Amino acid sequence: MTPAATTFHTPHNIVHRHTTSEPPAVRRALIGVALVFLSLFLFLPLVFVFTQAFAKGIGFYFETLRDPNAWSAIKLTLLAAAIAVPLNCVFGVCAAWAIAKFDFPGKNILLTLIDLPFSVSPVIAGLIYVLVFGAQGWLGLYLNADNPHFPWLQNWLNDHNFKIIFAVPGIVLATIFVTFPFVARELIPLMQAQGRSEEEAARVLGASGWQTFWRVTLPNIKWGLIYGVILCNARAMGEFGAVSVVSGKIRGQTNTIPLHIEALYDDYNFTGAFAVASLLAFLALITLGLKTWVEHKNAALNEIEISK
Amino acid sequence: MLPGFKLTLGFTLFYLGLIVLIPLAAVFWKTTTLTWPQFWQTITMPTAMASYRLTFGASFLAALVNVIFGLIVAWVLVRYEFFGKKIVDALVDLPFALPTAVAGITLAALYSKTGWIGQLLEPLGIKAANTQLGIFIALTFIGLPFIVRTVQPILEDLDPELEEAASSLGANRWQVFWRVVLPMLTPALLTGFALAFARALGEYGSVIFIAGNIPMKTQITPVIIMGELDMFDYGKATAIAVVMLVVSFVLLLTINVLQWWTNRYNTNNLA
Amino acid sequence: MSVEVKNVTKKFGNFTALDNVSLKVESGELVALLGPSGSGKTTLLRTIAGLEFPDNTGEAQVLFYGEDVTQIPASERKAGFAFQHYALFRHMSVFENIAFGLRVRPKTTRPPENEIRARVEKLLKLIQLEPMAKRFPSQLSGGQRQRVALARALAVEPKVLLLDEPFGALDAKVRKELRRWLRQLHDEIHVTTLFVTHDQEEALEVSDRVAILRAGKIEQIGTPEEIYDRPASPFVYDFLGNVNLFSGRVKDGAMVIGGTEFATPDATGEKDSDAVAFVRPHDIRVTRQPLGPALPALVVRSNAAGPVANLQLKRQDSGEIFTVQLSKELFQELSPKPGEQVFVELKNVKIFSDDYSI
Repeated sequence: MTPAATTFHTPHNIVHRHTTSEPPAVRRALIGVALVFLSLFLFLPLVFVFTQAFAKGIGFYFETLRDPNAWSAIKLTLLAAAIAVPLNCVFGVCAAWAIAKFDFPGKNILLTLIDLPFSVSPVIAGLIYVLVFGAQGWLGLYLNADNPHFPWLQNWLNDHNFKIIFAVPGIVLATIFVTFPFVARELIPLMQAQGRSEEEAARVLGASGWQTFWRVTLPNIKWGLIYGVILCNARAMGEFGAVSVVSGKIRGQTNTIPLHIEALYDDYNFTGAFAVASLLAFLALITLGLKTWVEHKNAALNEIEISK
Repeated sequence: MLPGFKLTLGFTLFYLGLIVLIPLAAVFWKTTTLTWPQFWQTITMPTAMASYRLTFGASFLAALVNVIFGLIVAWVLVRYEFFGKKIVDALVDLPFALPTAVAGITLAALYSKTGWIGQLLEPLGIKAANTQLGIFIALTFIGLPFIVRTVQPILEDLDPELEEAASSLGANRWQVFWRVVLPMLTPALLTGFALAFARALGEYGSVIFIAGNIPMKTQITPVIIMGELDMFDYGKATAIAVVMLVVSFVLLLTINVLQWWTNRYNTNNLA
Repeated sequence: MSVEVKNVTKKFGNFTALDNVSLKVESGELVALLGPSGSGKTTLLRTIAGLEFPDNTGEAQVLFYGEDVTQIPASERKAGFAFQHYALFRHMSVFENIAFGLRVRPKTTRPPENEIRARVEKLLKLIQLEPMAKRFPSQLSGGQRQRVALARALAVEPKVLLLDEPFGALDAKVRKELRRWLRQLHDEIHVTTLFVTHDQEEALEVSDRVAILRAGKIEQIGTPEEIYDRPASPFVYDFLGNVNLFSGRVKDGAMVIGGTEFATPDATGEKDSDAVAFVRPHDIRVTRQPLGPALPALVVRSNAAGPVANLQLKRQDSGEIFTVQLSKELFQELSPKPGEQVFVELKNVKIFSDDYSI
């Protein structure tokens, strides 16, 4: 019996002092506190974004979005997500396969290391790439070295004006870093819970490694994978701190949507900033919707599983 | 035996090294270019010290407030039925899903003197924009889901028989909560607190707009790092980053220990 | 002086868990509530504990020694309840689990610390778990947990002890040990006890009286002997297990099965109608030649493993299969082979007319 069911079955004609629920007054007070708190911190900001976005009318809204700088920011954000999400997806599946289906020493350390990007401040995430690829970093030192290994490589890189920091590759790298654990984190516990008996059965029945993966594993982890991708994508498109360090913030070139929002805000173009922000807020709502739908789907699936 | 172990583990380690470990190692490499006195001077300079106090203090308070309200929200979502519950449940994750820059400008505008909430606070003499209060508000916003989402599943799985047992032994509702339910939730609450605290320490986007970034007053530590980066002083930026990384790693360890503790009741069952 | 339930009805949605149930348990009695799952036995127990409340307020009553506790919640009712899955507090030691009910009392009635200690230690001795006081529930075996749950319920000196499937989650061997221990314990402390079970053997062995529930009603209540020897309905007969059904006709106070008349003392007065005779396997005598009124049957299979021999026979007229239990000596004397013809005499035949069904 679920805890909610105990209150559900209480007959409504008489007020019982039921043992596993609070008196109605306490119940109402708690619901009230929760709703006020959530309204203040969640509903109000959400409503605010959309109200401000259209504060100067729908014409101004679309004008802001049609601006070439805005358009370039949208394209760059989509590009960064389009590279980061699939890469992290492949990584997530590989990591989950190795960790969930095999035993090896150091597994717990590996799990902790995969989670590492979550506990690193976005600003530091940007910083580390500046230290590796910046003008004063490892790459910069190599490009300016008097006596480098592989002189042809140095020449080639210098000839092509190869840049990572303050350019698109840096943005993509920073995005990959901050979204690194999302898919792996969803898949590892899921695949660990499922064990390896189904895959072993498939192998015994003569399936190849690939067939086993495509026909047995993938259908089993489908919803977890989708879930991870949704979260990964939301973060990839919304990342601000890390990207802000490596981007150089050149309007129309290295600004992503969040950086473009900052630029508009700093220009005191608040309505414009909120207009662009409403795109990301809308994406957040879609993310929440999809997330709820996937969870619902998954719960339904589990229930079928149990009733079997 | 299943195939693909070498391939998948190999790729995992390669990718992890390339994206995470080598770049992170660069931080420690860069630190070695500083002498010990230089390093010490940088991490203890007055603006940095003020930022640590602010960042830790505000993160701690925000996480604490979230423990209380997060528990209430989780309780209400698990135990009670009310109109719009499903939507509320879904919206709890908004701080996860809403990009920090959007949250940042929204909170800044809401709490500015002319904003929806700011203009209500103004007559009371409360200022949120460009103050430490504003930073606390932003950190509370981003920390909320951590507590709710760690407590919620534990509360859902809590056997109603435990509460019935306590109550049949004569405990009143408050005693049941205080002596039976709360101790069962404590590890989850601590884990949620640690997660929210860790996230708040490193938070940047949702804070900078409302904070105003006044040196010694409303500059959080990531802003100090950003400031050094803007002046291309990578040495100083790195030194302060090392301080933050060490704190993060300690917290990560703490969270792992806490999670083990949360599961401890379920893992050493004999029967 | 007793624990009494009067006219209790309880529904969950469309499902009627209790249908106007009344039950009286005398002081110091050990009563088993026996029935299949969904028969309402656990709901009845929970209603007595104050964990559920009757739907028909006004009519329904729960009385503890004459005092009306119908509207009093569990926390004030002073009924000791042991849950099927024990519901031990995992974050408390065995000692603290047992002490819980004393510690949560208001200051005015709470015993002093040294008395709490003494009482818990006494209970630990009673459940033979003195060395385990500092252990946590997760470090105990199932049987030990069940005993801690019992001690915890007893610590508050309950007016009635309620046990929900006390041995349900244990393996067969521990079950048997623990139910004998429970009976001994009850003989020592004499607390009025009700326990729920779906295991008829358990109910018959342990309790003073057994109440058999079916679909929210009490079908029969009586001592184990009464219940076993004089089942009130085909359902009770069947639920206690170990029974053969013979279809036939009742005529002039006798049961006619396959053309043979069997004397049935309780069938007198029944008019001519179709009926089913219930006969336990050990109430059937098998012979090579008919010595009195007997039914011809064929041997299907025999099995002499165990303390008694089992014989599967087939009625020659209707083809119905039935089972006979007989001693090893008789079995060896008879040495039946599959396909051979034998004759059976039926004793203690119980008749229910055909409109009953099980």
